Amino acid sequence: MTLAWTPFLEPLNAIQPTWYLLLLPLVLGIAIIYRAIREENYAVYWRSVAIMTGQVVFGIVAIAIALGLFVQLVIPILNQP
Amino acid sequence: MKSNHTNQEPVSFNGAAIVLAWLFPGVGHISIGQKRRGLLIMSGVLFLVLCGVLVGGIDAVDHKNDGLWFMAQVWCGPIVIAVDLLNQSLIAPLPVDEKATLVGLSHVNEMGTLFIAMAGLMNFVIILDVIQAKKGDDFELRSGSKERRAQQ
Repeated sequence: MTLAWTPFLEPLNAIQPTWYLLLLPLVLGIAIIYRAIREENYAVYWRSVAIMTGQVVFGIVAIAIALGLFVQLVIPILNQP
Repeated sequence: MKSNHTNQEPVSFNGAAIVLAWLFPGVGHISIGQKRRGLLIMSGVLFLVLCGVLVGGIDAVDHKNDGLWFMAQVWCGPIVIAVDLLNQSLIAPLPVDEKATLVGLSHVNEMGTLFIAMAGLMNFVIILDVIQAKKGDDFELRSGSKERRAQQ
């Protein structure tokens, strides 16, 4: 129940069905920290954060699609007698 | 970690900065004159920790039930230890039926725990960086950037 939810004390159970969307803020936070120590020029800092976030999200989505196809298509074929 | 330092200045060992970087993420870099870099690190780590506690509740940090995760999370410093103390004092002693709404289940608990663990591991990388960072080596000043711009 979201109405009785106390932020920072109770877990945000309402996000359970769409938990995979949390990948975006997770990767954004990692990119903000990582680019802060790697980037030498502040003018391109936020652009490089956005690029890194996009690259990591794209990579994880691509791996998820590949593994999904493997489980849904390849394994049933391998299991055929 | 930067390995392409081009100038010949010896890299000093920043013992106090290492401790400060663990005590509060980003303060280690600020203490050696890298204010903007430190503030960005601080905002990134705090963003991940706040997201983790927001999603998973304070149960996202639990050194008794999630000991291995706690080993990664504790690199965030006293913030995470404080959240764990809150968890152990407010939630852990409760009976099971009262605890049910305060404990994250399934993906919510996993993602909350993961957010804070990633913040801890990234702060570990920050601590490694501050070991060999040079004083005042902030954006536009870090070695190599001037030479690179001169070549362009």
